[in-house]
Amino acid sequence: MITITRAPPYLTVQDMGRKHSRSSGVPRGGAMDVFALQALNAIVGNALDSAALEWALGGGTVRFEGDWAFAIGGARALATMAGRPIPSFTTCRARAGDELTVEQLIAGRFLYIAFGGGIDVPQILGSRSTYLPGRFGGYNGRMIAHNDSLPLGARPHSAPAEGFTCPPELLPRYDLAAVRITRGPHADLFDEVSWHTLTETEFTVSTASDRTGYRLKGGALSDSLGNLPSDASCQGAIQIPVDGTPIVLMADAPTVGGYPKIAVVTEADLPILAQRSPGEIVRFQLVTIEQSQRGLKRCASDLHTIRASGAASA
Amino acid sequence: MRGTQLRAQPLGDSAIAIALGTQPSAELLNQVHAAAATLAAERLAEVQDIVPAYLGVAVFYDALRTSYNELAPRLLAVCERATGSTAVSDKIREHEIRVTYDGADLAQVSVSSGLTVDQVIARHSGRSYTVDLLGFVPGFAYLSELDSALQLPRRPQPRPRVPAGSVAIAGAQTAVYSLDMPGGWHIIGRTDRVMFDPLREPPALFRAGDIVRFVPTP
Repeated sequence: MITITRAPPYLTVQDMGRKHSRSSGVPRGGAMDVFALQALNAIVGNALDSAALEWALGGGTVRFEGDWAFAIGGARALATMAGRPIPSFTTCRARAGDELTVEQLIAGRFLYIAFGGGIDVPQILGSRSTYLPGRFGGYNGRMIAHNDSLPLGARPHSAPAEGFTCPPELLPRYDLAAVRITRGPHADLFDEVSWHTLTETEFTVSTASDRTGYRLKGGALSDSLGNLPSDASCQGAIQIPVDGTPIVLMADAPTVGGYPKIAVVTEADLPILAQRSPGEIVRFQLVTIEQSQRGLKRCASDLHTIRASGAASA
Repeated sequence: MRGTQLRAQPLGDSAIAIALGTQPSAELLNQVHAAAATLAAERLAEVQDIVPAYLGVAVFYDALRTSYNELAPRLLAVCERATGSTAVSDKIREHEIRVTYDGADLAQVSVSSGLTVDQVIARHSGRSYTVDLLGFVPGFAYLSELDSALQLPRRPQPRPRVPAGSVAIAGAQTAVYSLDMPGGWHIIGRTDRVMFDPLREPPALFRAGDIVRFVPTP
C-alpha cells in the first residue's frame, strides 16, 4: 500500500484504458503517455498494462507502507527520497516508511509512477483507469487527494535489479520537432491550402488543453466544412471545428463527434504531443498508414527490449 | 448490401472507418446497424470495438496483430455480405421507459410549439424511436425521430448540470441524460431507469438500432 501524504493538483490512476466499451459511448481513456506507462511497468517487472499514477501540475509526496519497487518517468521531474535524487526510468526500491517527494515537474506535462504489482483498484469495464467526467474507475472515480491510500497488487515474481535504467535510445524523443500524422477520414474534404497550413505551421499548444483534447494556436484551416453527421473518433484525431483551429483529441475525448477529422496523430508519437505543455510548439509531418503502423510496432518491440534487458538484470 | 458505396479508410493506427453512404437517412442508418451487427457476429480475433454512426461504422482493432492493409478488405467483404436490416431484425431490442412528464422546460416547449402540455406529452409518448447512435458521454443515446411540432433549437444557454434520467428534446431528437452533466436540451420529464451503469455489461441500457417507447406515468 502507498499513501499520498501531499497530493499534487492533479493525480489519478491510469492504465491502458477501455478498449471494448466504445459502443456504449465510453471513451478509451487511459494514460496520456502510454509509452511512459508501459516502459515504467517493464522497469518494475509488471505486465505492461498495469495501473500506475498519472501526476501533473505540481509537487507532492508518496509514503510507502511496505517494501516496494517503483519507477518514475514521462515528464521530467525533480524527485527525491531520503534526500537522494530519484532518476527517471530507473528501477528504485523503497522501504516501509520511505517518502518519495516530487519537488516539481521540470519539463513535460504528465509524470508516471509505477509500482511493483501495480495499483490494485477494482477493474471497471476491463480497466483501472480513472474517467473523471463519468466519475468511475481508478480511485472511486475521482482525483486522488491528501491522505488517500492505494492498494498495490502482488509483487511480480522477478523484477529488474535496483538501478536498472532503460536505455535512453528506446525512449520517445520528447523534444522531437514534428509529430507524425496520417490522413484522416475527412482528409479529402480539405484543399491544398488547408493541408499546407496543417503541415507547415508551427502550432502552439493552447491553455485550452486537457485530457479531452489539445487546442492548437497559430493557424486556421478552411472553415467552410462546419458540422458533419457525427461519426466515430479516436485518440489523436485532429478535428477542425468551425473556426478552423485544430483540436487534437486526447485520451478522454468522446467516442463520436461531428467535426471533420483531417488527420490522426500516429500512436507512436501521441505520447510526445501529450507531454507538450501550453505554450510549447508542435509541427506535423504526414506519413502513410504503413509507416505509421510500422512505428507502432517499433514501439512495441522497444518495450519488449526494455522488458528483456530488465529481466536480464534481475 | 447492394447499392451502397462502401469505402474503407484508416482512422489512425487502430481503427478503420467504413463509410456506407454520404447522406444521412433512416434507411442508411438501418444498413449501418445491420453492418455493425454482421461485423460483431464475425467475432474476429483482432477486432476490439465496433462503433456505428450516421454514415458508417468504425472498427477498432489490435494493430500489433494485423495491419490496415490486411484487415480492411476483410471488413469490406463482411459488409458486402450484410444483406440489410432484415437480417438482424429479430435481434432488435425494444424498451419501454416510464416517464414522469414534469420537466423544467415543459411549459416553455408547450408555448414554443403552440401545443397544450397534454398534447406535448401525447406527441412525445405517442411514437417509437430508433436509437441512432451512442456517444457524447457514456450511455447517451440519440433517439429519432421527434414529432415535427416538437422540434426546437437547443436552449440558448446550456444548464450547468442536468441530472441523469432527465428526458429531453432538441432538434429532431430526444434523449435521456445518462450522467449528471451540463446540457442545452429542453427537459420535459424524468425516468428512474439507469441509462448508464459502469458496473453493468454492457454498461449502456440502449444499443444503436434499439427501439424505445416512452410511457407517461402519473
